[in-house]
Parts: sequence; C-alpha cells; structure tokens
Amino acid sequence: METKDQKKHRKKNSGPKAEKKKKRHLQDLQLGDEEDARKRNPKAFAVQSAVRMARSFHRTQDLKTKKHHIPVVDRTPLEPPPIVVVVMGPPKVGKSTLIQCLIRNFTRQKLTEIRGPVTIVSGKKRRLTIIECGCDINMMIDLAKVADLVLMLIDASFGFEMETFEFLNICQVHGFPKIMGILTHLDSFKHNKQLKKTKKRLKHRFWTEVYPGAKLFYLSGMVHGEYQNQEIHNLGRFITVMKFRPLTWQTSHPYILADRMEDLTNPEDIRTNSKCDRKVSLYGYLRGAHLKNKSQIHMPGVGDFAVSDVSFLPDPCARPEQQKKRCLNEKEKLVYAPLSGVGGVLYDKDAVYVDLGGSHGFQESEEVRPTHELVQSLISTHSTIDAKMASSRVTLFSDSKPLGSEDIDNQGLLMPKEEKQVDLKTGRVRRKAVFGDEEDESGDSDDEDDEEMSEGDRLENSSSDETEEEEDAEMTDKQYMSGKGIKRQKLELEEDVEVDLPAFADSDDDLERSSVEEEAEEADESSEEEDSTAEEERGILQSKAVREGTKRGPLQTNGVSDSLHLEKSLTVKKAALTTSDSGHCTAEEAFASEDESEENSSVSTEEEEGSENEKVIRKKFPRPSQVVSSQKLGSENLTEETSDIEDLLKEEEDYKEENNYSTETSGALKWKEDLSRKAAEAFLRQQQTAPNLRKLIYGTVTEDNEEEEDGDTREELGGLFRVSQPARECKHKADSLDCSRFHVEAPHDWDLEEVMNSIRDCFVTGKWEEDKDAAKILAEDEELYGDFEDLETGDVHKGKSGPDTQTDDTEEEVKEEIDPSAEESAKKKHLDKKRKLKEMFDAEYDEGESTYFDDLKGEMQKQAQLNRAEFEDQDDEARVQYEGFRPGMYVRIEIENVPCEFVLNFDPHYPIILGGLGNSEGNIGYVQMRLKKHRWYKKILKSRDPIIFSVGWRRFQTIPLYYIEDHNGRQRLLKYTPQHMHCGATFWGPITPQGTGFLAIQSVSGMMPDFRIAATGVVLDLDKSIKIVKKLKLTGFPYKIFKNTSFIKGMFNSALEVAKFEGAVIRTVSGIRGQIKKALRTPEGAFRATFEDKLLMSDIVFMRTWYPVSVPAFYNPVTSLLKPIGEKDTWSGMRTTGQLRLAHGIKLKPNKDSLYKPIMRQKKHFNSLHIPKALQKALPFKNKPKTQGKAGKIPKDRRRPAVIREPHERKILALLDALSTVHSQKMKKAKEQQHLQNKEHFKMKQKEEEEKLKRQKDLRKKVFRIQGQKERRNQKSSLKGPKEQLK
Amino acid sequence: MATQAHSLSYAGCNFLRQRLVLSTLSGRPVKIRKIRARDDNPGLRDFEASFIRLLDKITNGSRIEINQTGTTLYYQPGLLYGGSVEHDCSVLRSIGYYLESLLCLAPFMKHPLRIVLRGVTNDQVDPSVDVLKATAIPLLKQFGIDGESFELKIVRRGMPPGGGGEVFFSCPVRKVLKPIQLTDPGKIKRIRGMAYSVRVSPQMANRIVDSARSILNKFIPDIYIYTDHMKGVNSGKSPGFGLSLVAETTNGTFLSAELASNPQGQGAAVLPEDLGRNCAKLLLEEIYRGGCVDSTNQSLALLLMTLGQQDVSKVLLGPLSPYTLVYLVVTRWMPVAPAASFHIQQTGTLLRARLTSPSPDG
Repeated sequence: METKDQKKHRKKNSGPKAEKKKKRHLQDLQLGDEEDARKRNPKAFAVQSAVRMARSFHRTQDLKTKKHHIPVVDRTPLEPPPIVVVVMGPPKVGKSTLIQCLIRNFTRQKLTEIRGPVTIVSGKKRRLTIIECGCDINMMIDLAKVADLVLMLIDASFGFEMETFEFLNICQVHGFPKIMGILTHLDSFKHNKQLKKTKKRLKHRFWTEVYPGAKLFYLSGMVHGEYQNQEIHNLGRFITVMKFRPLTWQTSHPYILADRMEDLTNPEDIRTNSKCDRKVSLYGYLRGAHLKNKSQIHMPGVGDFAVSDVSFLPDPCARPEQQKKRCLNEKEKLVYAPLSGVGGVLYDKDAVYVDLGGSHGFQESEEVRPTHELVQSLISTHSTIDAKMASSRVTLFSDSKPLGSEDIDNQGLLMPKEEKQVDLKTGRVRRKAVFGDEEDESGDSDDEDDEEMSEGDRLENSSSDETEEEEDAEMTDKQYMSGKGIKRQKLELEEDVEVDLPAFADSDDDLERSSVEEEAEEADESSEEEDSTAEEERGILQSKAVREGTKRGPLQTNGVSDSLHLEKSLTVKKAALTTSDSGHCTAEEAFASEDESEENSSVSTEEEEGSENEKVIRKKFPRPSQVVSSQKLGSENLTEETSDIEDLLKEEEDYKEENNYSTETSGALKWKEDLSRKAAEAFLRQQQTAPNLRKLIYGTVTEDNEEEEDGDTREELGGLFRVSQPARECKHKADSLDCSRFHVEAPHDWDLEEVMNSIRDCFVTGKWEEDKDAAKILAEDEELYGDFEDLETGDVHKGKSGPDTQTDDTEEEVKEEIDPSAEESAKKKHLDKKRKLKEMFDAEYDEGESTYFDDLKGEMQKQAQLNRAEFEDQDDEARVQYEGFRPGMYVRIEIENVPCEFVLNFDPHYPIILGGLGNSEGNIGYVQMRLKKHRWYKKILKSRDPIIFSVGWRRFQTIPLYYIEDHNGRQRLLKYTPQHMHCGATFWGPITPQGTGFLAIQSVSGMMPDFRIAATGVVLDLDKSIKIVKKLKLTGFPYKIFKNTSFIKGMFNSALEVAKFEGAVIRTVSGIRGQIKKALRTPEGAFRATFEDKLLMSDIVFMRTWYPVSVPAFYNPVTSLLKPIGEKDTWSGMRTTGQLRLAHGIKLKPNKDSLYKPIMRQKKHFNSLHIPKALQKALPFKNKPKTQGKAGKIPKDRRRPAVIREPHERKILALLDALSTVHSQKMKKAKEQQHLQNKEHFKMKQKEEEEKLKRQKDLRKKVFRIQGQKERRNQKSSLKGPKEQLK
Repeated sequence: MATQAHSLSYAGCNFLRQRLVLSTLSGRPVKIRKIRARDDNPGLRDFEASFIRLLDKITNGSRIEINQTGTTLYYQPGLLYGGSVEHDCSVLRSIGYYLESLLCLAPFMKHPLRIVLRGVTNDQVDPSVDVLKATAIPLLKQFGIDGESFELKIVRRGMPPGGGGEVFFSCPVRKVLKPIQLTDPGKIKRIRGMAYSVRVSPQMANRIVDSARSILNKFIPDIYIYTDHMKGVNSGKSPGFGLSLVAETTNGTFLSAELASNPQGQGAAVLPEDLGRNCAKLLLEEIYRGGCVDSTNQSLALLLMTLGQQDVSKVLLGPLSPYTLVYLVVTRWMPVAPAASFHIQQTGTLLRARLTSPSPDG
C-alpha cells in the first residue's frame, strides 16, 4: 500500500533550480550560456540599425521614467497607528463571523459581541483596528474615508450585490484604499465545476473593478459556525504583511477613529435641562497628520467642532517592546475594544479605568494612586471655602507679617494674593498664588522659605557648593517627582472642578509642568507646592523691584534686605526702565514695559487700560474689589501666566548671577554704586540675549479678550463722562507706526578699534573657525593624500610630514595615557579621515551616475531625517507643544457643545470619526466642481434639486447648479445634467481643497432600489464670484416702421433701461438684424432701432442677453448620527420639489400652450395662376398660356333637332326590327350548317389523299426492290469478269 | 450648522498689515477696533486705506467693512487671485510698505501676480524698494520661488513728499515651498550698494559713495557702490538722495542697511558725506546683529517657513525685531498653517536665537 502511495520523484522543469541544472548541463557540454552565445555569434548581436537602436534606447528610458513617482518626504511615523481594516459586505454574508475568527486567530480570545472598532496586536510591528461596515450608505462613506484595508465580503452563492459596487465606487472617489475580496458561502455549491466557474466569473468582475490581479480570497466553508482555521490563518498572514500606499487626503489630515466615548457634562446641567449641549471626550489612535490643540475638526454625521482639549494617553494596545524575538508571547497578544467591553486599564487625565476581565496588559499599580488621593483630599476638607478665605493669610515676603483678608480690604492697592519668594540658589523670584483652600499649605510654605534661606546662605558662603547641591537636588527631586506629579494632578483637578478655566489654561499648565521636570534645579524646593509658588514669586518680585526703585521703595525695604538677587533683578529692571522711554521699543523693552505696566495697573486702580496688554495684566492682577469674589479665579490665572514671565526672565538672571557675583557679595547696598553703568551693561546684555521667546510668544494669552469688561470698570464722572486719560506706552503700541525696520537704539561707535574688531571675523578677511580655515584644510588634505605608494614601481612616497604634525602625534600619544578625551579626538580624526576618503571615492565613481531623480530623492530623504531628528530627543510632553500630537499616539479629545442626541442616541456600531480640518476648510463659500452623472444611475439630475455630497470628511446636503462652459468661456446654466458627459456644478458649502474627489447621492435614507450613487467628480475651483448665467430674451414689437428704422415698444419699461442697452444687437424672428439706437419719449420704454431691412408690423423683435444666476446658499450637514438608534439610516433633509409634490399629491398645472392636442390640418387651397393680359401678350408663344382646354358646348344652331315618330311609324319600325332579327338568325343557322358540311368534305378528301399516298408508296417500294435486284445482279456479273461474259 | 470661522478681534492699528496678511493667508476674518480711537484725527489713514484697497484688488470675494469714523475695520478675506494689477500707493508711506506684504502673499496667488505700484520708492521710514530687491528677493529664492517671471524692477524713482515713482513686481505661483536650513550665515565676501539721487546734482551720489567706502574699506576690499542718477520723468516729483548697502556672505545671506535724505521741506538738509558714513555704520550694526536673514526680512522668512510643507525648517536669526516679535504673537492666534508654532531655541552665544518651524500640518 505504502509503496503505491508514494509519489515518484519528478524532475523540476522550471524554477531557479532547474535553470541552474540546465546551465550546468550546458556547461558540461561546453555550449555555455547567453554570454557565450554573444561571443559565439557576434554578427547576430551586432548593431543592425543605429536608428532602431536609438529608438529602443529611447523607449527603455521612457519606460524607466514612467515608473518614477515624484518623491515625497517620508512622513510615516516611527510608531504607526493600527491599520484600519474595514470588513464590508451586504447583510448575512459573514462579516461578524470573519471578524470574530480574525480576532481569535490573532489573540486567542473570543469576542461574542462586537461593537465598534476592535484593536488587536497582530505582530511585532503591526496592530489592526477591525471595524464592521454595514450597508447603510452613511457608514459606508465614512469608513471608506478612513480605511487602510477593505475586506470586501462577497456571497459567492449569490454573486455581487449593489452594496459592493457602491462601496467600490465610494472608495474610488475618496482615495483608493487596499481592497481584498473574500468569497464566502462557497460550500453551497454542489458541483465542483460550477464552483470553479463561479469563482472565475466573480474574480474577473472583481478585477475589472479594482485592478487586474487584485487579491480575491476564498473561504471555502464553515466548521461549527466558524471559518476554517487554516484559511483564517492565511488571511491573517496576508493582512499582516500587506503594504499600503499613502493616500493624499489621509496623509494630509489628522483623523481619529474613535473607539471610546465618555460624556463629561456636568450632571447638574443635565438634570436641569436634559437637552443641554454636552461635553464629550473621545478616544482613539491619531492617524494621518499631526493634530494641534484647539484645531477645527469635523465629525461626520454630527458637525463641526473646535477641539477644546487634547491629551495623549499611554497606548492601551501597545506593540511589543522587544523587536528581536521571532513571535509574540501570549501576554503581548492584546485586544482592545472598549465599546465591546474589552480593554485593559485606561489612564485618563482625571480617572483610571480598570477592566478586570479579558486583558493582560498594564498591571502597574502605583499609578492608580492619584484617584485615591483625590478622593482622600476631598474627604479631608472640612471647612467651607468662605471660611477658609476669611482665615487665610498671605505672606508677601518670607519674613514679613502675614496678611489676612481684612488687610486686603484696607490696603486696597496691594496685590494681596501673591506671595513673593526668592530662591536664593537659582536667583529666581517667584510669585506664589495663595488662595483660600490652601491655607494649611501656606503654613508649610513658610517653613520652606526658611529652608530656602538657609540654602541661600550656604550658597553665599561657598559657590562651589552649588553644583553639589544641585546634584543632590536632582536626586531628591527624582525621588519625589513621581509622588508629586500625583499631588499636583490632584490639585489641578480641584481647580478644574471649582473654576471654569479659560480654554488655554490647561495646556499652559502642562507646559509648565514639563518645564519643571526639565529643569532639575527648579524642583529642589522640598514640596512641589512650593515649587510653583516660588516660581510665581520671582516674577512678581522682579516687577516689584522696579516699583520699589521708582515709586515706593521705602515701603518694602524689608524685601530688599531679604536677598541679593532681588537687587540684581532690580538693576536689570531699572536698566530696562531707563531705556524704554524711547518711543520705539525693542523686544526686551517691550517686555519690560509690559512688566512695568503691570505694576502701574496694580498700583493705581483709576488708571485705565486701553489695550490688550493691559488685559493680560488685568487678568493677572484682579482689582481688590474683585478679589474677594473671584479670589480663586485670580490666583488661578496667576499661576499660569506669571510663571511664563518668570521663566522668560530666568535665563537672563542665571546669566547675571555669574557675572555679578563677585561685586554683589561685598555688601547689600553696593548695588547702588555706578548704577547707570550697570544699567547700560544690563541693557546691552538684554539686547543681546533674547528673552525666553518661547514663553513670550506662546505663554501670553489671546489678545483683545475682555475689552468690554474694561469699559465697565472704567471710572465714570457723574455717570455721564468718562475720564479720558492719555494712554501710556500701551496705547503707543496699539496705534504706533507699523514699520518692519529694526532701528538701532544704541549704536556702537564704529570708529573705535575694539568695536570694529568685534565684527572683523564676520568678513572673509577675518579669522575663520578651526575647521574652515583654508590653511588648516590644506594641511589636512596634505595629511590625507600626502602618503601614497606607487604600485607600479613599488616606491613609497612619503608626504611632507611637517614637524608640527609629527610632534602632534607624539604629543597625542602622550596625552592619550593621561586623558581619555584625546583618544576620542583621535578616533574622531580617524573617522574624519575615513569619511573624506569615502567622499573621494563616491565623487570618483558616482559622478554622472546620479540623475536628477536620484538627487531629488536624496534631498527628500535628508529632509525626512532632519524632521525625525529635530524632535527625537525631546519627551512627548514638550514635543506635543511644538509639532502637535503625532500620528500613532492614543489621544483623548474633549469636545464641547455636542448636541445631546449624540450622547443619547449613541450607537457603538456606527463609526465615530474625528476628521481634522485644514486651514480654511472650516469656512464656507462657493465651490466649483466637475461632475458626471454616474453611468449606473437611472435618472438625470436637475439643477436646484437638493442633493447630498460627500466631500472631504463631510456629508452634507446642498443645492447645486449645473452648468456647461461654452466655447467663449461663458458658464451657461443647465436645467439637467447631461446624460453621458461631464458638466460643471457649483454649490455653496464648505471650502475643500482643489483636486478633492466627491460623490453625490440623492438620499441617504432607506433602501433605494437601484444604484445609489448619483454622480461623482472632483473639486476644481473655489472662486467666490459667481459667473453662471442663463439666457434671457427680451421681446418687443414695432409700432412704427420707416424704411430701415423702426420704433419698437414693449421691450423695456423706461428710458433709463433703454439707455443701458444702447448699441445692443437685436434681431427679428425672421432674422433681420439691427441695433438699439436711442430711447423715445413716448411711450415709456420705446426706442428707435435700425435694421438691415424694412420690418413688417407683424415682426417680433428680440434681444438675447445673459442673466447671472445666484447659487442658493443652502448647506445642511447630514446629521445621521444624531438619529435614534435603529433609525440612523433614515436621515432625510430637504426634499426636492418633485418629492414634495408626490408626497402631497399636488399635480403641477401645466401650461396650456405646452399641452399636446390632435393635429388638425386644413386642406391647402391654391389660387389659380393669373397672368395679366399685357404680360400675356408680351410673352413668347412658348410661354403663353395655351387655350386648349375642353371643347365647349355645341352651339344651339348646330345642334340637331330631336326626331319624334308617329305610332304607326313606330310599329313599322318595330316590325322591321323583328324581321331583320329573324333574318339574321336564319342566316346565322345556315352559315353554321355550311360550316359543318365543309368540315365533312374536308375529312373525306383527306382520307382519299392518304390512301393515294399509300398506294404510291407501295408502288415505289416495289419498283425500288426490282431495281435493287437488278443492280445486284449487274454487280455480280461484273465481279465474274469477262470470262463470264464471254460465256 | 453652517460654520463660518469666528473672527479674531484686535485693538489698535499697529501691525495692521501683518494682521490682514495673515488673515488673508489663513482665511480667518479679523476685526480691528479702536483704530486711533483716541487720536485727534481718528480712524484709518490714507496709506492704510490704500493698503486695504490693494488687498481688495488682489483677492476675490473679500468683504471689507469700515465704520463711519474709520475706527473699526472688519475684514473677511477672499481668495488670493493675483493677475495683472496696477495700484497707486499713498505717498505717506513708501512702496516698501505695500511691497513687504505683497512679498508674503504673491507666491500663493491663483494666477501669477504682475503688479505696478506707483508712489514713493525710497523714504526714511520703510524699507526701500532697493533693499527689498537686494535682500527679500534672494530670500524668496531660497524657498524655491524662482523663475524668469520673478522680478522686481524700479522703473521710476520717487522721493517723498511728491512721490511719482513706479515699481514693477511680478512673482510666479508656488504651491509648495522648499524647507530651508539656514543655520550658518557664512562670512561676508562682498558689499554692494546703490547710491541714488533724483532732482539733485549727480555729484551727490559720488560723494555718498566716497564717504561710505571710507568706512567699509577697513573691513573688506570688495566693495562696489553703484550710482544711480535718474533724470527727467524717471526722477519723480521731489528731490532727494540716499544710499542702500548690502553685504553678501559666502553662504548667500544678505544683510542690508539704508539711509535716505530728509524729504524736501522737512528737517535740516543732510550732507551726503554724513549720510554715506551713517549708512555704512548702520550696515556694520546690522552685521553685528548677525543672523542668516537681515532684520527687515525676519518675519517674511518665518512666515514662509510656516507656509511650507510639514518639514522642519531652521533659520538662525539675530535679535528679533519688534515687528517680528509681534508677528510671532499674531501667528500664535491666527494660525496660518494650523497652529504652526516655532520651536525657539536659544543658542549658547548671546547673539542669536534659532528658530525652527516644526511640521505644521499642511
């Protein structure tokens, strides 16, 4: 048996192995391969025709360049988001089963019910987000826009269904994702042949739709309600190794396929008004491009929103960390589908969600603490806020008397909520915002202050301590950083709850936090709370210092004695102050003046603010009158905004500290000496060090926010007049000269030698850097190329090794032993040498090879590297600030003002997509597009019928006008779209970039019998001026006709109208052309016109004009997601007039003239031709009318008289008639008899004749016989001869 | 749910150009209030009105609303259309005032812009056309805006207060800008200049040249200052003279300085020698400030960086001018490319800040 079963070995006939063998065989035979054939028979391969060769070369080059795509910069993220796999197909085709099988294949988990997207880890480098797409056209359109791969299920037993083709068409319009067909229900075929045929037929149809050779997968049958494991496994393999081409729309827009939704609305609001707008957070992987906070997004099916907040979360379905190993272990096979109730632990900004079943990942326990603490802290608050506020005390300076709220009311002008603290070590002044419920912590802060002070003292004593200190600080900082983050988070949370922050506050806060982490020394205050307060204080202190110097120095001298750094800052500020008087302020001055103005505003309440800068300040320093009421708010803002400034100034101070250290230590009051010199120095330095620009630019608040408030708080005199105070520098700023020139404030004295020397190196004649110095480079080159060996002769040429290089070498060797940096430099040198050699080599061999295309590609690659490298080393928090959230991140997006129906009617089966909008894509305007009715759509489309477009992310209903362009560029309105031709369409709707594809459908609701996609096309233009025109004919009638001139009425209503059309071309219906000349006095609107011929009174005159048509401004987004569950595919917008008429049973009253009636034709009657006599006479005879008609009646005289007979005569005539009749009868009979007799006689005669002939014949016979006998005898005798005769 | 992008609101007329230009590029409407509200002569000035008119000419579908006193301006930008345009600029400001904004807008038109501007070519306030031609044009070329049709031509010179100058500017359309990496300014290899004089003695220009050379020769020998004496109808309506200097580095950076004489009837007469010397010193000052882009064009460079693709551009700038600073703040709230932000790094040396435009999402 076994032997029988075994196959015999078959030789390979094709493939590489067979070829190799064949080659070897040929070599054995000494025949060789192709190369040798060339050698063997060179003539056969010689150039036959130069022309043909050139042509073939040309062609190969053409083919080669055809393959090139324009190279683009590679922007794919290093950690790509999961691939969106859309499983699509008509109902009952096996979509859910397939998804379940795929999930089971990849994760070994079984999901019973699948709702929404499911994200799974499919391999080391790939994750998949699988989502099911039903046959609701809304869903199909949305998912086609985000799909990377479409698994298109086809019921083979049934064949293709409309949905499949519709979906393919949608895909084609919105960029073509990868499409893989899957045939199911193959087990229903009984005969193998039929199965094969069906497969082939379906495959070829599929190929014509997608592309020839598109992958079509066969799922042969079900086993226990699931597809066969092996087939699913293979399908999974296909999916995991698939490559994708970037799609333009997807790569240029950020988008998210949300896999989770939370309602964040205040429950109280919902309670009071269940229909209130909701605040919603959505979660998902960011795809496409970078997403910025506060950008515009569109949710298909819901509407446009502004992102109120974005934050990134740890990846819930992370790729495996290690890349080395071959396969995933069980722990790494994650599945994440929160809408289906599967997922791991999720960290939110304000909460952690733990799902206990189903997942393996994320079991770090320590991170759960924040919520815990939050709860604790909430529990532990006992007193109310008011009570806390009343009892709270504020310390302005660390050793000053704490101020209570009552002091505030008394003092009025001070800023009671700020607490200034000086960090001696770093020299920063910080402002602490103290508000009511931080009472207990403010107590701590005093302690911290003391600690800081002591630190500062130490610092003064020995500056060398500083570094150690910092290191220590870093150490400790790291230790409690983790804990601190939590605490801070908690605090923020509280704030969030209590105060409605301005939208930008959150992000700023984040930034702040990150900066804290970055700068280690900043964090060395013992408590994190302290950290922030101290920071704030610094800013305040600085500004305060200015005030002290200028206005109320003595009041707060205790603050001065506090620290040296205060003085330092004072000098700086002072300097800024002195210089900022000049009208045009430099960057730093602007900033300084801003600070200054802060002070002013805080000092005097009656000073009014006139510009946005002041508003910023106002925010920072709320009036005492407002303090009590909005204490919390104020302090809140304080934390955010002052810290920006503080950071801004920090660096300057750091710098200053080093410089001034020696002088400052000598005495507290020494700073007063040569103040002006220091001021000048400081100013120059400031001029040179740009302040922390990042903070200046990105830290400030938006402009012109609360202008109205200003007006309210302005002091009024008697309620009537306002005190108009001369605005100060801020006003200058608002209305000053708009000029881009950067004027030099303090020019250098360029006649001085040292000043000149300062820029001498900026010129080529100056000194060059080490690596660019010409002499150096020359020397280096010599070193590189100096030594060479002549291979031919074997001589070794030594480069002229200068004594200096040699000594260098020896020195280096010596040095190497001493310090390792020398070794590094040597290594570098070696590398440099290598690089140079490589460059040389490349230059030598690559020259000429590199084409334009290669160069371009290289450039792009370089740019891609640069892009990557730019932010590589930064942590995500900081990175997000600059480049936005990059694709691949798992983000949480908060959106406000979402209609409540979105939450109430939330159906996880429907995809929620957040599509980022580009620059002006949120705007609405006129869009021109090229459109073609779909060839499978049964009807044609009518202008002004509402239709639903899917363009960009959006689906919306609008009223398009169709037009066609005439040869002269005129855009003529069309009533209907052409049947098989492109036409133009214009509608009023969202601006979408040119070149974007779109499709149109008549209705998204319900099932329509035929193909649903009505038209497709592309956006051409966004021109805002409407140019569509329709034809308008004005008619008039002549009322007086001269020779070629006529007076025409009825075309216009007034002389003015006529005046507008003077010179216009008019025409009669019969084709006589003319021109409008001038208006007539009466009747109104009549005019004189000239024509090329005389008109008739019956003529109608008309003028052809073009009338611009306005596009209806109707834009109605399809809000299908807001419909109740189960009715999401029933959205219907504006109806067409036809639909309305049908619904209401209104019949259109047709114009009577356009009705069809039976055609009644009158008989045509022609008049006879009448030729005048004179003419007749003149005519030649030929043309004269001939009078040969019928003969007329015979005249009476010619007519014979009628004969009237007598009765006797009549009798005679009758008898004669009778007799003649008898006679003729008799004659007739006799003739007949005669005829018979003649016949008889003729017969007899014939008989006789016959007999006679017979007799004669017999006789003649007899005679001839005798004659014959006689002759024979004669003959016989003649034969006998004479003898006989003789006888 | 028709969404029209909400307008941005500003107060004061300062930086009007930047606000309007950025609004046009970003498509967001702006409202500017309190324009010289407290002034004795409130409202928009002639030159600003002329600028708004110019914007109207080069766009399609813009809506501009100005209240009766001219203190409030609402501007809803249309499409940048371009084409052949002529514009009479106000003589209160020089053509440079208008040209600076046009340089920002011209590459993004629908049709290539060909514009004739008439007015004052050189004055003491704005960067003159000469300087823009010498510095801004090469800067735009760095961004890939190039071609035959890219030119700036001074047809006639006009000095304040009379004006009468004429400038022709044409710019091709570029959808995609190249990212730039200008981090090394290189060393100055030559200095060029243009000493012009109209309706004064042609000797003036020569005197300017001599005095300017006397200063600059101490640094570099490769100096050439052209003298440009316009006559007849090409010389505008008012007399005047001036000098513009440009220093070119080995890496193609152009730094410039300029000075012009006082307008006729205003201020004391300026000696050409003094003017030449002072201008040379201004150039030295500019060199001292350093950077890869000179101070007048900083904001232009930054704008084009944000309008490029999603790629990282880097540029090294000297101390930022107030104009640039405000530009940065304005872009912050009026994102041209969505919320393009600059990654500003301060380098160790005191002189420079490095600005990096990260990947703004195109």
